[in-house]
Amino acid sequence: MTGILELERLRKSFGGLVAVNGLSLSVAEGEILGFIGPNGAGKTTVFNLIMGSLRPDAGRITFQGKDITGWRTYRVVNAGIARVFQLSRYLKHKTVFENIEISTISNKIFAREDRRAREERVLEAGELVGLEEDLQKKPSALPHASLRRLEIAKAIATGPKLLLLDEPFAGLSAQEVEEVSVVIDKLRREGRTIVLVDHNMRGLMRLVDRVVVISFGEKLAEGLPEEVAHDPRVQEAYLAGGRDNDEAA
Amino acid sequence: MRERAGYLRYIGYLFPAGTVALLAIAPYLLVHRPSWITILTLANFFAVFAMSWDILSGYTGQISFGHSFFIGAAGYTSALLNVYLHWPIWITIPLGTAAAVIMGLLVAVPALRLRGPYFSLVTLILPVVALKLVLILSKFTGGELGKSGLTPLSSVTSFFAHQRALYFDSLGLMVLVAIFLTLIARSKVGKIFEAIRESEEAVEAAGINTAKYKILAFIISSFVAGLGGAIYVHYWESLIPSTILPLTLSVGLIIAAVVGGMGTIIGPIVGSYFFIAGQEYVKEVARSSSSLKFLERWDVLIFLVILILLIFFARRGLLPSLYALLRRFLPTPTPKRSK
Repeated sequence: MTGILELERLRKSFGGLVAVNGLSLSVAEGEILGFIGPNGAGKTTVFNLIMGSLRPDAGRITFQGKDITGWRTYRVVNAGIARVFQLSRYLKHKTVFENIEISTISNKIFAREDRRAREERVLEAGELVGLEEDLQKKPSALPHASLRRLEIAKAIATGPKLLLLDEPFAGLSAQEVEEVSVVIDKLRREGRTIVLVDHNMRGLMRLVDRVVVISFGEKLAEGLPEEVAHDPRVQEAYLAGGRDNDEAA
Repeated sequence: MRERAGYLRYIGYLFPAGTVALLAIAPYLLVHRPSWITILTLANFFAVFAMSWDILSGYTGQISFGHSFFIGAAGYTSALLNVYLHWPIWITIPLGTAAAVIMGLLVAVPALRLRGPYFSLVTLILPVVALKLVLILSKFTGGELGKSGLTPLSSVTSFFAHQRALYFDSLGLMVLVAIFLTLIARSKVGKIFEAIRESEEAVEAAGINTAKYKILAFIISSFVAGLGGAIYVHYWESLIPSTILPLTLSVGLIIAAVVGGMGTIIGPIVGSYFFIAGQEYVKEVARSSSSLKFLERWDVLIFLVILILLIFFARRGLLPSLYALLRRFLPTPTPKRSK
C-alpha cells in the first residue's frame, strides 16, 4: 500500500553529523502517526526536510504520488501539507483573525478572491481550535496553550490534507496538554492525516494509531503504541537519552 | 471583520480629503507669498519619493538606504533621452520610469539573499556608485553640473501661472500615487507585505511565495520612485545630480516617512510636508527678526533636534500617534461580535 506521504532513504548531514540516516517511512491516509525519539534523534530535521526548510543530501519525498523533494515551503504547503511549529510564529501587530487570515490568501497576485469565503474559512479554523472568542485579540494577549491553538488554526486554514505537529505539548501544563489534546482529537474525528512529533511518549500514546521511533536519524521501531512502548530497543534508546526519557513509556 | 471606532473611520477619510482640498486652494491663499508655492511643490515631489520608500521599506521591512538610486536612474534616462534625442517627455518619462523598474528588479534579485544590515548596505552603496559613474561619464552626463535645457513640464510662460501649473502637476502626481499605493496597501498584497515584515517564515508557512512578493514590492516601489524622478528633472528643466542622486535625499525621505508614520502611505506625505516646509519655516523665522537672525545658520540643526524629539516621543510617527491620541479621547463604540 502506498501512503499519502512516503519518505525513501532520506539522508541529511550537517558537516560531520549525520542527522537523518537513510530513513524510510510511510504515512497512511487518515491515520495519526506518532513520530517519536529522544532529543536530538532528528525528528525536527525530518519535518524541515519535508517542508522544504532543508534540502536532503539523498533520498526522495513523495506526497500523494508527487515527488516534492527539495520544494520550497510555500509549494509544499500549497500541495497540501501544513506544519504546526514548536514555537509560535505569529504576527504580533495583527489580531488572531488576521493571523489566521494570511493562511487563506492565495499565492497568485492577481487571483480573484472571495473575501466572504476566506472569512468563513478563518472562522471555521478559529472555531475548530476553540479560539472563536479571541479572534479580535492580539496573540500576545493569549495564554501559551491558546498560542498553540492559533498555530494549529493557521495550519488548518491552509486546507491541508496532511498536518505535521511539532511537539504540540512542549512547555504546556497538564491542564493545557489536555486542552490541546481535545483539539487534536477533533482533528482526528474529522479524518485528517496527522504526523505528531514528541519526545514524550506517554502524552502521545492515547492519541496515535501507530508509532515510528527514530534514534540517531535511523528508524528504530515501528508499530502499535503498546508494542513499541514495550520494545526493549526503544526503552534502551530512551534510557540512553537522559532525563527527558524518564517520561517515556 | 475589521472594527475601527466609527469616528476614526470618518476621520480616516476626512483627513486626506480635507488635506487635498486645502492643498488645492493653497496657491490662491499664498498669492502674496509665492516662494511657498515652490516649497509646497518640492514637498509634493518629496512625498512621492517618501511614499515609494514606504511601500518597500515601511511595508515589507526591507530598509532601503539608497532610494535616490531609483529616482536618479529614471531622472537620468528621461533627461538624457530628452536632451540628446529630443524625444518628447510623454515618451521619455515612461522610459525613465521603466529604467527605474529594471534597476529595481536588478537590485531585488540579489537582495532576496540578503537580510537586515547587509541588504541596507547594498542599497546604500548603489547611489554612491551611480554618482561616481555620472562623474566618470561626465562627457555624456554633464558630470556635477548636469544638463540643462530639458523640456519643461508646463509651457505656460507667465511666471506665476507657470509656478501654479507646476504646483498642480506635482499635487496631481502626489494624490494619484497616494491613491494607487493606498489601494495596494489595503489589498491582499498589502497584507502580505506587512506579514513579510513581521515574519517571513510564517508567511511562507501560509503557502505564500515570499520571494515573489518581495520582488513585487521592489517593482512597485521603483516604479513610483522612477515616475517621480523622471517628472522631477523636467520640473527643474535641468538634470542636476545633487537634486536626484545624493544620499541626503535618500536619508531625507526615510526621515519624512518615519516621522510621518512608516507603513501608512499617508504618513510619509505628512512627514514630507513637515520636513520640507518645516525647514523653510525655521529659516523664515530666522529672517523675520534681527534677534533671531542667529537661527539662520542653525535651521537644519534645530529641525533635526525636533525630528529626534518626535522620533523619541511619537515613535510610530505623527499620523499614527495622532490617531492613537484621538482613540484615547474619543469614546470608542463597543466592537461588534466577530460572528
